[in-house]
Formats: sequence, C-alpha cells, structure tokens
Amino acid sequence: MTASLQDSLPALRTTGETRLADPIAMEVFSNRLLSITEEMGNTLVRSSFSTNIKERKDCSVALFDGRGRLICQASHVPLHLGSLMGSVTAVLKACSVERMRDGDAFICNDPYLAGGTHMPDISIVTPVFIDGAVRFFAANIGHHSDVGGSVPGSISGTARSIFEEGLRIPVIRIVRAGELDEDLLNLVSQNSREAEERSLDLKVQIATNERGKRLLLALANQMGLEAMTGAVDDLLAYTGRRLRNRIRDMQDGRASFVAYLDDDGLGGERVPLQANVIVDGERLILDFTGSGPQARGAMNVAESALLATCYYVVKTLLDPELLPNSGMFSCVEVSSPAGSILNPSYPAPVGARSITCNKVARALFGAFAQLLPPERAMASSQDVVPVIIFSGQRRRDDGTFVYLESMGGGAGARHGGDGMDGIHVHITNTSNLPAEALENEYALLVDEYALVEDSGGAGRHRGGMGIARQISATRDGIVFSARSDGHRAGAPGLFGGLDGRTARLVRDHGTEQAEELSSKISNLVLQAGQSVRLETPGGGGFGLPAERELAALAQDIRSGKSSRAQAERDYGPEMVTRALDLRG
Amino acid sequence: MYRVGFDVGGTFTDFTIHDEGSDAVRHFKVPSTPSDPSEAIETGLAELIEQLAIRPDQLAFVGHGTTVATNMVIERRGVRTGLITTKGFRDVLEIGRQTRPHLFDYSIGKPEPLVPRQRRIEVSGRIDVEARCLTPLDEEAVREAACLLVADGAQAIAICFLHSYLDDAQERRAAEIVRDVAPDAYVSTSSGVLPEFREYERFSTTVINAYVGPRMDRYLDRFLGRLEALGIAAQPYTIHSNGGLMSVETVRDNPVRTCLSGPAAGVVGAAEVGKQAGLLNLITFDVGGTSTDVSLVEAGAPAFAASRMVADHPVRTPMVDIHVIGAGGGSIAWLDDAGALKVGPHSAGADPGPVGYGRGGTEPTLTDANIVLHRLNPVTLLGGRMKVDEAAARRAIEERIARPLGLSVEDAALGIIRIAVANMSRAIRAVSTEKGHDLADFALFPYGGAGPLHALAVAEECDIRRVLVPQEPGTMCARGILMSDLSLDFVKSEIIVADAGSWPRIVAQFDGMRERGLAWFEAERVAPAQRSMSCVVEARYKGQNHEVQVRLEQEPAAVAFETFVACFRAAHRREYGYDVDGLAIEVVNCRLKVVGAVERHPPRVPQTHDAAPQPKEQRSVRFAQGWLDTPVYDRATLGTGITLAGPAIVDEMSSTTVVAPGQRLAVDTLGNLIVEL
Repeated sequence: MTASLQDSLPALRTTGETRLADPIAMEVFSNRLLSITEEMGNTLVRSSFSTNIKERKDCSVALFDGRGRLICQASHVPLHLGSLMGSVTAVLKACSVERMRDGDAFICNDPYLAGGTHMPDISIVTPVFIDGAVRFFAANIGHHSDVGGSVPGSISGTARSIFEEGLRIPVIRIVRAGELDEDLLNLVSQNSREAEERSLDLKVQIATNERGKRLLLALANQMGLEAMTGAVDDLLAYTGRRLRNRIRDMQDGRASFVAYLDDDGLGGERVPLQANVIVDGERLILDFTGSGPQARGAMNVAESALLATCYYVVKTLLDPELLPNSGMFSCVEVSSPAGSILNPSYPAPVGARSITCNKVARALFGAFAQLLPPERAMASSQDVVPVIIFSGQRRRDDGTFVYLESMGGGAGARHGGDGMDGIHVHITNTSNLPAEALENEYALLVDEYALVEDSGGAGRHRGGMGIARQISATRDGIVFSARSDGHRAGAPGLFGGLDGRTARLVRDHGTEQAEELSSKISNLVLQAGQSVRLETPGGGGFGLPAERELAALAQDIRSGKSSRAQAERDYGPEMVTRALDLRG
Repeated sequence: MYRVGFDVGGTFTDFTIHDEGSDAVRHFKVPSTPSDPSEAIETGLAELIEQLAIRPDQLAFVGHGTTVATNMVIERRGVRTGLITTKGFRDVLEIGRQTRPHLFDYSIGKPEPLVPRQRRIEVSGRIDVEARCLTPLDEEAVREAACLLVADGAQAIAICFLHSYLDDAQERRAAEIVRDVAPDAYVSTSSGVLPEFREYERFSTTVINAYVGPRMDRYLDRFLGRLEALGIAAQPYTIHSNGGLMSVETVRDNPVRTCLSGPAAGVVGAAEVGKQAGLLNLITFDVGGTSTDVSLVEAGAPAFAASRMVADHPVRTPMVDIHVIGAGGGSIAWLDDAGALKVGPHSAGADPGPVGYGRGGTEPTLTDANIVLHRLNPVTLLGGRMKVDEAAARRAIEERIARPLGLSVEDAALGIIRIAVANMSRAIRAVSTEKGHDLADFALFPYGGAGPLHALAVAEECDIRRVLVPQEPGTMCARGILMSDLSLDFVKSEIIVADAGSWPRIVAQFDGMRERGLAWFEAERVAPAQRSMSCVVEARYKGQNHEVQVRLEQEPAAVAFETFVACFRAAHRREYGYDVDGLAIEVVNCRLKVVGAVERHPPRVPQTHDAAPQPKEQRSVRFAQGWLDTPVYDRATLGTGITLAGPAIVDEMSSTTVVAPGQRLAVDTLGNLIVEL
C-alpha cells in the first residue's frame, strides 16, 4: 500500500531554484482557504448535536481539487489527518466526475470499501461545480457516537470481525441533485442506538459541505477560476518543497524501532510494532515490516488510520506548521506487510485502533530519533489512549448513563526540556470531564485526580507524569470497563534517560480488598462505595540522569513529583543530597 | 468641569479630556513608565492641569485602564502564593483539561502553574453535588497548611474547594482560620471570586486573583497617593474586562477582573461612537505595533465571552470578546526556505522597531512597506518628532524580499501589505462570518496607530461596505473610558432541570444576587434613577455541555416558564441553527449584571469649516495603480460635511488614514471619517 494517492507533479520535483508562479497570491489564497475550512469546521461543531462532535470536536473538514488532491484541511484530531483523502479517492473510484451532478453529496465509512478509518467515522463528500464541471470537493468526517454493532458506541476490543462493528456504508449518493435521500438517511440513522442524533448530525455534515461550496464559489467569483487553480498548484508545490527540504536536512540512512502492545486486545503475548524509517535524499519511506500479525480483536489499524499516524509524526517531528495537504503527503511513502496488525485482511475488525496508532507513533518517534539531530528528538510518551467507561443508573432519575473518558499521561522528555505532565499525546487531544460536571451527571464520586508520583522517567530532562483518576460508585450496580495498555513495560527513555513508570488499574485502592486488575477489563460490577483507580503511564527521560540540573532535581523532590527514595535510586544519594543542599 | 480618561499601554499612556463646559475634547500621550505605571499617570495629569490652566478639583471624573494585573501574570511578577484545596485535587491547577496546547509542536509547553506543587496543600473536607457534607472540614489541617505557607513566605493564599459554588461554608470557615493565622496575607476564596461550576477554571481564576492581589493593592495605593498629591478629589474608577467601571475598593477585592481593562474600553468606546453615528453593527479593528485586536459589536452592544486565556491560564469572568492575532506595524516580513513570503507573527515591536525608524531594526516590517510606498510620511513621523530613514527601509525590503523573489521593491512592499491585509481579514472573518454573521451588515471601525492605514484595504478584502474612522484613533481606549458606565457581574451556579415545578426555584437564585447588587449600588452611591439590572439564564439541552444565554426581559419572578422555554429555543436556534422540541432543558448559571449609568453630556456637533480643505502637502504615493500625486490633509482642517476623492491621505497626531483611488471619504456631522465602498 502506498500513500501516494495521486502521482505528485513531476515538474515540482526539482527543488531549490524553481520559483513559485506567484508567492504573494498563494499566501493570500492560503488565508482564504483557511478561513473557508475554519468556517466549515465551526459550522460542523456549532450545529451538531452529539457530544462527540460538538464538545470533543472529533471531526475534520477539508477541500480537494477536482482531481482529488487535498488542498487544505482543518483537523482537531490528528487521527483524521489526510483521512478524508481515502473517502474522496473512493468516491472518485466509485463515480467518475462525468457522472456527478451539481447538488450531489456522497456518504461512506467502510475501511475496506471506502478508505474509512473505522466505522463510527462517517464521511460526507460534496462535488463543487464551477462553469459546469467538478472543480473542487468539500468534504468532512465526524465521529458518530454509535453506528450499531455488538456494543453501545460500536467499539469493542473483542469484536471478531468488521460485521460486529456497525453499519458498513460503501460510497453512496445521499443527496441527488439537491434532493436528500430521506429513506437512506433513515436507514443509516435507524442502524444506530441513537437514531435522532445520527439524523441531526448527518444533516449538519451535509449542510457543512454546502457552506464550503458556497464559499468556494464566492472565492472563484472574486479571484477567477484560473487564478485559483494556479494558486492551488503553487500551494501544493510549495508544501512539497518545504517538506523535502526538511527531509534533506536529515542524514540519509535507515533506522528501526520496535514498540510493543501489552497484548492483542484478547490477552496473550505482547505484539511488536516495528517502524523502519528510510531516508534517501529527499525520499522518506516508512515501512512496518517486522510488525506482529493481525490481531484477533479490534486493535488492527486500517490504511487511512495508519497513514494519518504517519502524517502526524512527520508533521510533528519535521515541520509542525506545515499545511496538511497532498503536497505534503505525496512526499511520504508508507508500506506495511499484508495480513499484519497494520495491514489487516478483510474482514478483520479495526474499531479499537487508537491505542495501536499511538504505539505506532512511539515506534516512529524511536526510529526518527536515530536520524534527526538530537534537538528535534523526543523520548517515548505514555503512548496509550487509556479509556475508562462507567455505566449504570443516572444520579437523579431512573435513566441509564454511559460515561467514557480517555485519559492523559506523561509526554516524553525532549532536548529542550522535561516532558509535559498529564496530557494527551499523539493522535488524540480531548479534554477531561471536570469532576464537578461528572458528579452532577452520574452516580459517581471522584476521590482523586492527580499526577502520579515517580511516574516520569529520570534523566537530564524528566519524562512527563502520568495521571491517577480514582472514582467510586455512589449507587450499587455501576458497571465498569477499561481499555488500556502500557501495564507491562514503561515508555523507553532516550540517550540514557530512564523509562517512565507503567500504568496500573486497581480496584478499591488503599483498602484491604485492593486488587490490581488487567489492562483490558469488561463489565466489572461495582457496589456503592467501591472504587477503581487508573494510573496512566509516565513519559521516558532524555539524557543521563547524572546530567540533570541540581535545581531541577531539588524541585522534583520538593514538589513531590519524585519521592526522595526513588530519586536516590535514579540519581544516586550523593547527587540528591547536593541538590537539596542548594538554597532554592 | 472636566472628565479625564487614560489608558496605560506598553509604550504610551494615552489621555482623553472632555471639557464639559465648552464640550471640547483633547487627546495626548506621554511615555509609559513600566516600573511604576502611576508615574506616567501623574506626569500626564500634571501636564494637563497646567496646560489647560484648571484647578485639580475641576476634574469631576477620573477613569483609567490598566494592564498591571495582566502584566503581572504574563511576566510572573505576582507575589508568592499558596493554595489550600480539597484532598485529592491539588493537581487540578497543573493538569488543567489534560490537553496539550499545540497538536503538533511539543516545544510549546503547558504554563507553569502560578502556585508550585509544594505550595498546594490538601485538606480533608468534602461536600457532594447536592451540597451534603461528606467529610467535615479538618480545621486543624487548614491551620497547619496556613502556617506552612506563611513559613514558606506566601503573601497570598487561595482557598479552592470542590463544589463550593453550591455552598461556601467550608471555604468561608477556612478563610477565617487563614486570616487568623496569617493576618497580613491576601486571601481569596473560589466562591468569593467566581461561584461557578467547573473546578479548573474556577481554581485558576481564584489563584490569579490572589497572585496579583497584593501588588495591585500597592499599585492602587501609589496611584491614589499621586492623585491626592495633585489635589484631585474625584474618586478614580478602573475599567474592567466587561467594559464597565469599578471603584478602587472593588478592584482591590477583584483584581482578576481587570485583565482586559484597556482593550475592553476601546470596544465600548467604539460601540458608543458608532451608535452616535447611527452605525449599530461594527467590526472593531485595533491595529498596534505587534498585534491586531478584532471584535464584533451587534445592535450597539459588544459581544461578550465568558472566559479567555491570560498567558495560557484560564480566567473566567465576563469580558468583551476580543480576538487577537500577531499582526501589527512591527510584524516582520520574511521568506521561508521553500520560497513563500510571510508577514509575522514575529514582530520587531517598539524595540528595535521597523528598519525605517533607525533604532537598530534590520528586518523589514509592515511599517517599512508603508514607508517605502510613502503611505506613511517617508521623512518624519509623530508631527516631526521622529525622523524616518526611507533608504534603509528600501534597502531591507530589497535585500531580504524583493531580490530573492525577483520583484521590484515597490511590488514586494505591495505584497507585504497584501499579505498582512489577508492575515487581518482572516481574523475579521473569524469573529463574524465564521460565527454566522453577514459582513454586509457591518461597518469597519479601525483604531490604534495602524488601523486606519489598512482599514480600507481590509474592508475591500472582506466585502465590508462602510468604514468609520473615529477622531484620534490612537487614543480610542482612553476615550472609551469616558463613555463607560459602572457595572458589576454576579453569578450563581447550580444545575437544575428546568420544568414548571423547578422554575420558581431557578428564579429565586436571583434574589441573593439582587441584594448584593443593591448593596453595591449603595456603596458606589449610584442614584436610584441611574440604576439598572439585567438577568441572564445560561441553559442547555440535557446531555450537552455548551450553554446558551437567555436574557430575561422582565423581572425574573414575572417570567413564565413557557416564556423562558420559548426564549431558550430561540436563543439555541440563533446560536446553533436548530432547536429540539420536547427535549429537557438544564439551567446551569444565573447571572445578574448591575449597571450604574454615569451622567455625561451628549457629544458636541463640531463646527463646520466653510473653506474647501487645503492639503498640507502633495506627496507621490504608490498604490496598486502606480505612483500617484496625492494630497495629504491635516485632519484638524477637515470640516464636517466635506467630501474628498482618493487618492488622499489624512494625518493626525495618533494615526494616518489612506484613501485609495476611486474611494470617497466624507466627514460626518460628528467629525468621523466615513468611507462607503
């Protein structure tokens, strides 16, 4: 499989001296495009009903040209980077532009049939006609909180095939020449446990593209189609050139790094995820040969999700401000062995891919660290998307609730400083639910929400700290499930930095009944007063502990981020004594 | 009698004086004195008293905008502060919302909390979401914590307990104990500062209040001392983030409410000037040296936000909604290694400043592009007080931009301006079209030193049809202070499902706030005729986490539940484009705003100058059409009712307006410049 969804323009391969046709017009145009995608994104977030899109902003919008090249994307979730390219490519394959009519819109979600990332992510793609021909596409993708399947939320780590993960939607016209197909909308909606929410949100997704379409037409009116296509060519050429410059800055060579999943989601042995990064002049090849076999459960990664993870890593490590468009993506070649966890065969389930994707990011960061100058490298982070789920009776009435939270943890330390404490890393970045909001909604009490002492790996720069969240039931019969990882091995340190602490899940922490649970657990029933506590992993350290500044070490100990005992083990008693003797 | 408003900025402290007798308005600036901002205030006031030859007691009104609190947070110069909080929650301040600030750039870190972990101390004591006591407050632990913090040198202590917005008893008791142990410490409780749910935002706001409290106190003491020394008897007011005025005593308790002081005054002033000119919908556009502030005024009222970030710390108090981008006169133009021309976000600021100012700047800025094209005077600025080095500005643009791109210096300079205008236009769309407004309904209201310089190009780019340039745009914030009223906001937070049965209980939330509002009216000596109150209910559909504001048009007790539901649905439709019949509605916050109107004269209608305007000079200026011989006018010589055809340039003390060929400028009856596009 390859990332080059369309051949990059040969003329633009020549780097260095070729001037852009009009850099000023390109910059002005790029501002207009960003305004359009921001406006589409706002429309989608503002008008949607579901918490997932409205509050967590689990959605993205993008503009494509008539050939299916991605021009501009506004993404709140890195896991969506470039993922709409899969949808637009699938739409173009299913229906040539000649057969499209003004006012059409397409819907799709399936990872095997339509370039989807997993079933809950539904895409809408709308062709934009100017002067009687398809010149652009407006597209958006939203994470729907339920699309049917075996469990509420449609994501089950134990699903055995794609058929347990909800409604499969190949490329279908949902709007025909301006007329919404209500029957089809109803079919899709009624296959969800929340039919009304689906219907409202899908209509908003369709309206969002209509808005993008109007804005593109207005822009074409103002600047002319020819100037617009010229600016698109400049923008893609510029983005590609900028990334190739960054690739050439790296040393040529090949580096590999293996990250591990604790298990494949259904227990068993750890699963290797091997990233092989090859830099050859201005070519960048990311290959995953050596990764474990297809998982029995849903921790497999579909093509679009793997590409998104790769694009995220390239953007983060090489050029964080780079515009995510086809100019960038066409510089990155991705391959993975068929039948592996990173290239599963139909009909393998792919719903619970986010933990795997974050571990893929770890493998890529580890391999890049060997090829980048040290000031751009970063130690491993928590690299999990730990999810806890509580359900039961509501606090104030007899209705039921489902409360899902994905937790942050420690970031890896960098050349420039300590890793951030208690954050989401890599492909997700969602907010917590405040304790005061949670206790208001659910029959739950937050006992503690804190950083985990000694969880950041020691080093010249310390890894970020994991988070502990301990929640107890205030009613009998609360059902708890968790999907976590990193319970067996901590985040590796870099250049002599020590590993971060592992995660752990404990029932009734601090009592005589305390019991450590496995990282993936389903349907544990809690009685009133019983609690569960998840401590997420810390980040790895960067550089030798002996090189840590004494003042920073002293602050770690004074603030209780490190215990004195652990600090003496990591840094040596003598260094700790010297640090604490400093007047701070 | 005279009324004076002044706004302390980073470089200048701006003054506006209104002579109520003759109705004359004067503007001037003195250099700011960052180490003690009240020094520049005293200098300016003394100058004013001397120049106008007035007695200090003729100053009937003194109002000021201050960045003292904001700068303390940005520069981390507040006092050593401690936090006493609920067991299990001392890291709330550090974890925040557990998100990273930038999706792709890990070198952009979370802010270091203003209170380090060792000074965040947990104590037992917990109430639940129904305000039932689960664990009584451990008073001994509070006492010990206070002793430890004092021993560690803390001068301010914040007390933040979970669910204290529902019942403040434990926080109040803890505060008593702390004051007993540490009588000199500045103490803030979260229920006192912001009794609103969502712990991170409440704790953060409270900690900032404590952190800036003691130094704000000392600043106010110096400020009052200087006024007294000058013989000024009027009690000074401070403009706060919602654009209203507060007395010094209120500021001492709530310094966190001043964090958007000056900029809020500018927007309030713009709304008022717009109203007088008959323009109720405005986009305010304040361009300074390093940044551009944009906000939206609809039906004469500024848009408000419930919170904003100050140096990456959330501050949750009602404030004028201002969108800031890093684009200003000092923004640096540069080429990246793939051949794109960028303007900003880096700025040469005031120091070293643009190349053409000859103070050591070497990188070409937006101002240099304006100098090279002669839109700014290429010889001197600030009425001759500052020399301009046009040749140096040309050289910088030539070497850094024009030659590498294969362009003429003029085309490169035009490109720099075009890109800056595109960046600014994006900010304007962000506050307007992206929120569902149609820019055809709005007028652009530029101010700040560089606003009028770019306003007409920005209006064209955004399809805005009308531009209003106020008098002395560079001192708009000081002028806005003279147009503000006294006000204070109260909030009561409790999540209640709204139905006919619970509605009376919801309405009753306003009772306590009303009493506090009345007490405030008394304390501020607001005459009964000047008093007003407005009530807002923040509500959402059950299951959502975003609230919409529902203004109650009558006394809360007189509003029927059905009326509220209809208003909620209308507000939801306006905000999100739809509403849902029959879905349960939850009330989250009740807000009361009390306003004490400040008496002031309506603006004077300036006298018409009969003579046709005479340019003070002719200058060759570069527009898109080429170099054109362009008249330059002194704004003071433009009488009302006059019209001018572009190309033209209008100069005044604090700003320059550029009118392109084909555009027509008119002076309205109040002295504003109006351009219809």
